[in-house]
Amino acid sequence: MSEEQKGSNKNSNRRDFLGMLLGGGFFAWIISLFYPVLKYLDPPKIEEVKVSSVKIGAVEDMEKDSGKIIKFGNKPVIVVRKPEGEYIAFTAVCTHLDCIVQFRKDYKQIYCACHNGRYDLNGRNVSGPPPAPLKRFGVTIKDDQVIVYKEEA
Amino acid sequence: MKKSNGKSLKERSFGWIDERYDITGVIEFAKKKSVPKFRETIWYYFGGIALLLFVIQVLSGILLLMYYQGTEDAAYESVKFISTKVSFGWLIRSVHSWSANLMILAIFIHMFSVYFLKSFRKPRELTWYTGFILLALSMGFGFSGYLLPWNELAFFATKVGTDITRQIPVIGDWLLILLRGGEEVTGATLSRFFGFHVAVLPGLFTVFLVLHLMFIQRQGMAEPEDWKKLPDSEKKQIPFFPNFTLRELLIWLIVINILAILAVFFPWELGIKADQFASAPVGIRPEWYFMFMFQVLKLLPANILFLSGEFVGIAGFGIGIFLWFIVPFWDKRTPESRRNKTITYVGIFVVMFIIVFTILGFILD
Amino acid sequence: MLKILYKIVLFFLVAAFSSLVFAQSNTDECLSCHQELDDELLLPAKNYVNDIHYKKNITCAGCHGGDATTDDDEIAMSEEKGFIGVPDRTVRYKVCINCHSDEQEMKRYGSNLQVDQYKKLENSVHFQPSINNQGPIADCVTCHSVHNIKSVDDPQSKVYPTKVVELCGSCHSSANFMKNYNSSLPVDQVIKYKTSKHGMLNAQGDPNVAECVSCHGSHDIYSVNDSRSHVYATNIPEVCANCHSDSKLMSNYGLPSDQYESYVNSVHGMALLEKEDISAPSCNDCHGNHGAVPPGVESISKVCGSCHVLNMELFEKSPHQKAFDENDFPECETCHGNHQIRYVTDNMVGTQESAVCMDCHSNEKDDKGYLVAGEMKLLIDSLKHEDKETKEILSDATQKGMDISDAEFLLKDVRQVLIQTRTSIHTFNLDKFKESINPGFEMISKVKQEGISAVDDYYFRRLGLGISTIIVTFLVIGLYFKIRKMENKT
Repeated sequence: MSEEQKGSNKNSNRRDFLGMLLGGGFFAWIISLFYPVLKYLDPPKIEEVKVSSVKIGAVEDMEKDSGKIIKFGNKPVIVVRKPEGEYIAFTAVCTHLDCIVQFRKDYKQIYCACHNGRYDLNGRNVSGPPPAPLKRFGVTIKDDQVIVYKEEA
Repeated sequence: MKKSNGKSLKERSFGWIDERYDITGVIEFAKKKSVPKFRETIWYYFGGIALLLFVIQVLSGILLLMYYQGTEDAAYESVKFISTKVSFGWLIRSVHSWSANLMILAIFIHMFSVYFLKSFRKPRELTWYTGFILLALSMGFGFSGYLLPWNELAFFATKVGTDITRQIPVIGDWLLILLRGGEEVTGATLSRFFGFHVAVLPGLFTVFLVLHLMFIQRQGMAEPEDWKKLPDSEKKQIPFFPNFTLRELLIWLIVINILAILAVFFPWELGIKADQFASAPVGIRPEWYFMFMFQVLKLLPANILFLSGEFVGIAGFGIGIFLWFIVPFWDKRTPESRRNKTITYVGIFVVMFIIVFTILGFILD
Repeated sequence: MLKILYKIVLFFLVAAFSSLVFAQSNTDECLSCHQELDDELLLPAKNYVNDIHYKKNITCAGCHGGDATTDDDEIAMSEEKGFIGVPDRTVRYKVCINCHSDEQEMKRYGSNLQVDQYKKLENSVHFQPSINNQGPIADCVTCHSVHNIKSVDDPQSKVYPTKVVELCGSCHSSANFMKNYNSSLPVDQVIKYKTSKHGMLNAQGDPNVAECVSCHGSHDIYSVNDSRSHVYATNIPEVCANCHSDSKLMSNYGLPSDQYESYVNSVHGMALLEKEDISAPSCNDCHGNHGAVPPGVESISKVCGSCHVLNMELFEKSPHQKAFDENDFPECETCHGNHQIRYVTDNMVGTQESAVCMDCHSNEKDDKGYLVAGEMKLLIDSLKHEDKETKEILSDATQKGMDISDAEFLLKDVRQVLIQTRTSIHTFNLDKFKESINPGFEMISKVKQEGISAVDDYYFRRLGLGISTIIVTFLVIGLYFKIRKMENKT
């Protein structure tokens, strides 16, 4: 191999080396740009507020034979006062496709308007698409106040 | 390099596109593009810097959109959430705020360098007009974006800023209500500004930007008088691709890093949430790019002859800006044969005016 | 002949002398005339000879006006002579104050009595108009009576210490009467008073013990809620101290006289007297006011517990309740004192010298209390230490410009736990104590974590910046060389 060729080989080696350095450098730079952006797009974990019981008002505040939705922490719960005066509570999230249920006085049942799902006043799914019953919440009366609490499994 | 049919991957990809879109002509044209190499070449970078910063704004803005909520109840909280809870949210937010300011600065520098180099002359008048419109739009971006965190300073700055529209005769009051979405600055104003900031202004900006860039590409880089007069042997050029581009890339890398440094060492503050019923805090002022106008208005007496001082100020600025806008028009009227000093003197006056009153605005706080 | 002269001179002497005597006693013609009557106008005259004013030679005319020197009733009781008859109830006090508010007048009769009674009375609650517009509710006559007024030092006086209780009670114990003025005012003060130490000694005739006037004042009586009243909350300690800080007086009863001094320096005293917090207890809140008796040993926690409810409830369920009762230790007082209750510090609990636990417990084999005390102090100190450390970390984070407002919010809960834990000391039960303090440890470690990660984030940002700046620098240098090379080629 002649001197010239050796020289140009060296040059091409140097060129390659510089090229590789640049290419590698760029790659590293791009990573350092993309890494924060990707982490950013990953939503942060919000602490689940552990709520164990919620006071919803005086016993006589709710009419007999009526229902209402309350906030339990960040989840909706449906509270129903039966015609005899007794209080019951369930999760308000329908087990079919997560719509919010309501109490229907005329059916005397809990009803989901999305797809006509129905639950009886024991939470059992009795008609329509819901595949599972509603989870029951405990209700207790203390000092004339109605308290809804999460029942142990 | 993989070879098949004796052609490299690069050559085959090029061939595929060329068969469909006939880009050979475009490539040839681009190869000829060059930038004059002389003392003033450095100013030629600022257009690219402004473009870079705009792209950064769009990207960081889109990222912010993932978490920002533009209602009165949630705006401040969502920005706080981004700054404190979202991974690298602080970085994205500070980059967006700093880049906004740097972009407007870059556009000002770009505009003044074009002005002094007289590159607005024929055939580049439209480039100048579209460019000036882009400046106005970017200041609109700045004004509308400033309100979005819904903090105390922004709220009052917007209140004061929109009040000025009252002075415009005939349509002033109507314009005020249009801007504010009501008589006062409220959640409705926030909604409107958000709409302007992420939909209206980006759309308009893109249209004018594309025109601006198209004009530049078609006509090539401007060659100032001084350079054209040089003998051919001394006329040096830098080919746009790849030399000038690589140089620009170098500068862009540095600019991006500067942004990162600013975000880490000078994070953008959030302040306290806006309260419509609280009294104005001490020291409300607009962003620096509006400061000189704000300061002049503050210094004008309440009445000049039979007109209100504020009206005179706004009218004066309106006329001044309009004249600046149409400089290609009245420049034609001035003698071109010798070095045109009028344009230069006017330009120096305007630059000094802006600098002096901006500084005054900050000192006299 | 001389014998007759002798008899004549004697007769004249006797006549002169008698006339002199009769002249003196006959100066009050009103009295002598009225004493001859047999209707209701007789009584005043009959009583008046026992009246102190009579003894000071003040005639009926001194109050009623008229001329006491003549027995002609038309002249004596004439308007020209200034006769006013029986003054109307609305203005009869004016007759008294004519002299009794005039210092010169009092000196003329050789009296050192004060002359400010009316001034004190006129703004008091008793001088308000009565319901049937018959003048003030109570004026001079109401308490001091009339025509048989005795000196205040006279045991026969209606306002003498041993008799004044009955006098006040004649209105204040009558529900029917009091409801015309303030039906929420109690009417059992006298009954309660009689059960108190003061009342019992007073009933035995001791004029030196406290009765109505000693505390409420005599003429300047105000409502209890009026800050001018002697028995307004902030005034009570001084009123009790009037007697109870008098060591000579107290030694007669075998009582100490340092309670006031102790009280003034106590938490309750400083709250009431310096901070003017009238919800703080003074003497009557623990000892009772009318039925004042120091609480018995087994009832102290109930007295303290009327405000410090939680501590009382916990104490009563604790092992200390039985132990204290068996040993006759006064409940709360044993550790906290009675009058000189100081601010509680965490040094009161534990096994160090300053701890009150060490007053009874010691490092002996069977002394479980010693271990419990030590453990409690250890836990509290440990939580406080964590709290302090965490606050330092948070302040460091704030200085560095990181946002830790959520963590700071959680810290408030820790403070709450510390307060509740100090109350739960009164269970004197390690398990229950741990129940209340353990959530605090959980919270503080969470806060600490947040603080530490905030500071870490600060450093991480700078590190990240440093790394990317290095990468960029390499790139820039590499690019520069590439550009130069490219341009040198052409």
